[in-house]
Amino acid sequence: MTDLAEPVPAALAEPRTRVSAALSDDAQLIAACRRGEARAMEMLYHQYKRRVFGMAHRIVGGSDAEEVAQEVFVRVFRGLASFRGDSALSTWIYRLTVNAALSHLARRGRRHEVGDDGLTEVPAPPVTERDSALAARIETALGQLPAGYRAILVLHDVEGLSHEECAAILECRIGTCKSQLHKARARMRELLGAHLASGTTKP
Amino acid sequence: MTTCDKVRPRLTAYLDGELADDRGSAVRGHLRECPACRRVASEEAELRDGLRLLEPVDPPASLWAGIQSRLAAAEVADARRPVWRRAAARWTRWARAARWTPTMRQLGGASFAAAAVVAVLTWRGQRGDEPPAAPVAVLGPPLSEHLAAAATAPRPATLVSADDVTADLAAEPERTTASYDRVVVELMKLAQASRARWNDGDRAAFDARIAGLRGTIAHADQPRSAQRAQRSLIRFLQSAIVRDDMLLASGGTR
Repeated sequence: MTDLAEPVPAALAEPRTRVSAALSDDAQLIAACRRGEARAMEMLYHQYKRRVFGMAHRIVGGSDAEEVAQEVFVRVFRGLASFRGDSALSTWIYRLTVNAALSHLARRGRRHEVGDDGLTEVPAPPVTERDSALAARIETALGQLPAGYRAILVLHDVEGLSHEECAAILECRIGTCKSQLHKARARMRELLGAHLASGTTKP
Repeated sequence: MTTCDKVRPRLTAYLDGELADDRGSAVRGHLRECPACRRVASEEAELRDGLRLLEPVDPPASLWAGIQSRLAAAEVADARRPVWRRAAARWTRWARAARWTPTMRQLGGASFAAAAVVAVLTWRGQRGDEPPAAPVAVLGPPLSEHLAAAATAPRPATLVSADDVTADLAAEPERTTASYDRVVVELMKLAQASRARWNDGDRAAFDARIAGLRGTIAHADQPRSAQRAQRSLIRFLQSAIVRDDMLLASGGTR
């Protein structure tokens, strides 16, 4: 038996659980939007604009993100009338976003015939100076992942959603969601290679 | 005995705190002993934290204006679409939501009803009193030009500075007002076509309401109140067109 001289780093010793915030006043907001109240529609837009645009940006890339986000919000506002509340509003909006982004990539793929085995490269978002070198590399590596992996990584790791929420959004089983996340992270580690845990990226 | 082969697939769940006590403890024990797995776990933890700390991406300020334009265009298209097509769309949405699959007998009934609707519409078309059905894609020149210009306009950089956002937000009320104006022009054209068929009393009531709303818009002291009145005008025009549409579809006269 080996000695226990090697301590487990703090980050590995105390893994974190995820808690997602629930929106309490969704019903009121939805009702006001159904009545066509401009203020409510604007409020809903501001509440979700970063999440929708961020997802679209990271899945389809910067050049098409605005088009996809527009399409998502138009579907949201026009679909609210028939939204029955079977899932949370946020789950529904995320689902519309992922579906719109993946359909957009599929259409674009048919037009340009890019990528093999579903791998579609998208340009990394512009990185501001305050971002670390690792963040820039992560964004670039994200752009090289297959679109499905990109979706699960952004939902779970960037947006911080639980497996239950991701499964509801992607309409798959929780087990599938977990295994896809595992594969996506493994692929990311391959893409990032020596840049991870090498000490060169730490400030 | 916990081996690398058993630990590696569990690392993701372990790092996310999803492994129950004894399994988590076994993984932790293995990590103490195995430098290779410890390195993989450290990399994955760093990747996970790196992903979590990615900066949110701000949408360009033009996104909201684009959404409003598309919603307005869709509403104009709704107003132009004949009543039976709107009803068919509602029915399709309902059937999809209810996951209803029609039986052969129901399909037969539906075909008969559809044939009856087509026959009635054809007969009405021959009488010459049905307004020409405008296809959804064909919009009047002002709105279509506006949309084409919006589509081809150079887009601002995705990450804009705080100053750009402030300037753009300041110009937003003006853009919204202009976009409402275009919708009003389109709807007025449709409403005028309907108005020609009404009796004098209805025409006078319609004109009075339009004049009242236009007065409110003209005398509004703030852009917000002017826009509120513009929205009332749009809703009034839409309801006038829809009422007329329904009246026509039911074969009645005003």
